[in-house]
Amino acid sequence: MITRLRETCRRLLDQNKVQVVIGYGQRRPGAAAHPVFITRPEDVGQLTWGGNCFANLTVYLKRKEVKALGKAALVVKGCDERALVVLEKEAQVERGDLYVIGMACDGVHAPKCSACVVRTPRFADELIGEAGSAPGAASPAAPDLLDVLMAKPAAERWAFWKSEFSRCVKCYACRQVCPLCYCERCIVDKNRPVTIDTSASLKGNFAWHITRAFHLAARCVGCGECTRACPAGIPVGLLNRSLADTAKGNFGYAAGMDPAAEPVFGAWSSSDKEDFIR
Amino acid sequence: MSDNLYKPDLMEVLQVERQTADVKSVRVRFQDAARARDFSFRVGQFGLFSAFGAGESTFNICSSSTWKDYLEFCFRRTGRVTEALWEIESGDTIGFRGPYGNGYPMEAWEGKDLIFIGGGIAMPPIRCAVWYALENRSDYGNITVVYGARTVRDLTFARELDEWSRHERVRVVQCVDPGGETPDWKGEVGLIPSVVERARISAANAVALVIGPPIMIKFTLPVLDRMGLREEDIYTSLENRMKCGVGKCGRCNAGPVYVCKEGPVFTMRQLRSIPNDF
Amino acid sequence: MSPIISAAALRELIDVWIKSGKQVAAPVSIAGRLLYQRIDSSGQAVLDSALRPANSIKDFVFPRHERLFGYRIEGRQISLTDPKPEERDQIVIGAKPCDAHALPILDHVFAWGSNDEPYERGRRRTAIVALACTAHDDACFCTSVGSSPADETGADAMLFDLGNGSFELKAITAKGRTLFTQHAQPPATEPRPSGSAPAPRFDPAKIRAFLATQFESPFWAEGTLACLGCGACAYTCPTCHCFDIVDEGSAAEGARVRNWDSCQFPLFTAHASGHNPRSNQAQRQRQRMYHKFAIYPEKFGAILCTGCGNCARNCPAGLGVLGVLEAIDRQTIKTDERQPVQT
Repeated sequence: MITRLRETCRRLLDQNKVQVVIGYGQRRPGAAAHPVFITRPEDVGQLTWGGNCFANLTVYLKRKEVKALGKAALVVKGCDERALVVLEKEAQVERGDLYVIGMACDGVHAPKCSACVVRTPRFADELIGEAGSAPGAASPAAPDLLDVLMAKPAAERWAFWKSEFSRCVKCYACRQVCPLCYCERCIVDKNRPVTIDTSASLKGNFAWHITRAFHLAARCVGCGECTRACPAGIPVGLLNRSLADTAKGNFGYAAGMDPAAEPVFGAWSSSDKEDFIR
Repeated sequence: MSDNLYKPDLMEVLQVERQTADVKSVRVRFQDAARARDFSFRVGQFGLFSAFGAGESTFNICSSSTWKDYLEFCFRRTGRVTEALWEIESGDTIGFRGPYGNGYPMEAWEGKDLIFIGGGIAMPPIRCAVWYALENRSDYGNITVVYGARTVRDLTFARELDEWSRHERVRVVQCVDPGGETPDWKGEVGLIPSVVERARISAANAVALVIGPPIMIKFTLPVLDRMGLREEDIYTSLENRMKCGVGKCGRCNAGPVYVCKEGPVFTMRQLRSIPNDF
Repeated sequence: MSPIISAAALRELIDVWIKSGKQVAAPVSIAGRLLYQRIDSSGQAVLDSALRPANSIKDFVFPRHERLFGYRIEGRQISLTDPKPEERDQIVIGAKPCDAHALPILDHVFAWGSNDEPYERGRRRTAIVALACTAHDDACFCTSVGSSPADETGADAMLFDLGNGSFELKAITAKGRTLFTQHAQPPATEPRPSGSAPAPRFDPAKIRAFLATQFESPFWAEGTLACLGCGACAYTCPTCHCFDIVDEGSAAEGARVRNWDSCQFPLFTAHASGHNPRSNQAQRQRQRMYHKFAIYPEKFGAILCTGCGNCARNCPAGLGVLGVLEAIDRQTIKTDERQPVQT
């Protein structure tokens, strides 16, 4: 697959079909893969693919420094591609301005992989590889932390989050790695008025994480990057997943799965329930 | 004065004067009389002024250091803190930390002609030096002030400009941008660099203080060079975003130079060795 | 010969410190990683010479969020209140040398021209008991910035893991000696095992030479594309100390607080006028490298980095200060033969 990936990218750059390839590279054997930006055909040897390619590279579509490089080819796994679907729906990317290289994936050894239903990207311009069989009942998954948490009484869940957020230092890694946190000026950076204390106090941390979860409600695609990025080991993605479950339960909507589905907060229908309005 | 570096002195607001549509000047004095007696500063230094609840902002102390009854600062209403300061009236309380920065080398300028060139909101940091020189008249030679703004209504301290020109060996040239004049405007019309050129100021044994937007400075420098001023005789006062004012928060450096501690006053020769980082 | 102390005796001593009312911090295992945290019993401390926590100890002397003073607004009257300073003694036990070493480096800026009382109070009340390293990973680079796995700078006492359930104990300062005076142990009989030091990752002279001339180089834009502009590197770095000052509270009362800040955030240098001298990530990354490897050394004679590697380990994009340093190291300065940036 790596050979085919490199050949594809060399061809795209040679023919100037794209000006940059956003893919995975690897500095040393055994190291984690990291994002690379290939602008010259002779550099495609830096591209790699494998079970260590955790990052969701769609996040780079929001970066002005990357946009300035020109038309991009983007390497995506199926889970990353879900973010692309949402970004397109929210008019953040012109699909025609992007060349999507989908990589069939056997998992990247993350908890999310055991329940993955998108091992093969569905909308790529070019699909590379054939995914192994989807995870079946044969592979016992570790108990899902969200299920464990939701089974606890509210007081225990509150204590859990107080303990977790006591470690938050407000580095905003969760926000910066998220492809869907693309606001030019985030609400926490606005000060007229201040709606979220910037301090890494319990108040400031709760306000931040709850607001972020709400702003991602029914938009988060569950790529898990926020949890991976948190230097304090806080499972911030659980808040997002909890709201994603709510969106699924109430609206039958899962972000990034069906490009034709209308976003929960982006559309209104006369048949929408109103019984909660009292 | 506590040993808490970041705790401001409380100041009583004596007078607020509206200079333009969005600029006010404010006179304050220390609530603590002993502090008022012990306090001194150099013209060109700045302070951090607090609107408690909104925050602190950095302003030049635009009164002469020879005036012991009050400090004065001048600000444009642009952000959270200045919006809060906009609401203050005589009798209110604000905070002050300072004086910070290096100030103008008024002693080194003794015996020389002084040329002050400023645009728009740059008048306040010039004003303190002009008044200082007028208060120590025999120490300085000819004083020339070239001050301009976009329109007549954007000129700050307009009354004082007229008053200065009535002092001996003081020449004040006021100008507005083309299109900014009123029918009864008696001053110059044009951009500052060309007004300075037309003014035919003698630069023999002179120093110049030039303050204004970078583009104004960029086009004024060649004029001063043609007048015969050397780079070490041309001074400016830099601005940069500040928080602590004392060189610790890591924010205001332009290359290796901390504007709050090693500036804000620099010669053009010093600026040449500072990278394009401000 | 330095005395030795068994792990069990050390834990007893830690519990004595805690019971006597001191604040004690140590590496703790949480959420599958090691983090320095305050502890309330010795059982929580993980004193493993082969592992390094994912955060730093600066939080204990330079808190991520600190109250500078309180204010109360009553009509036109303002009253300010000083915070009640924390007076308890504090001990950080099991600090890595690359964490301990950072504190004397930070002392310079907090004493530059004026004394930062909150920081200095934190320093005075805190004792650092370091634990020398017996292993390193591929993000460690202390040896590339003039330090080592057993660097004693900044430590009040140092423990050396003998690998047999005991530590060799070396008291370095008076503060360190006071901590352990109650403790009489027979001196070490075996030499301490030497851990391997990380191989150099870059040539510091090459970094200095590059920074001296390459401020405008296109390297900064090309080599930093992966950076997403979060603060994970700065906030887990033992030497990053940039901070913000804001007022927090209601219309009636609140506090002026100091919070960590990062030069990588877009608004760090944004003026109220809208002008931003560092409006793109390349400029911000450049500032980081200059601050650590050119400006701070020029002003204070010390590199603002101890080679702990947290930046590289925590960077979600696999970059970190180490990543940029290695990319610089691969550059040649000849402008006509500049090598392409390998990220």
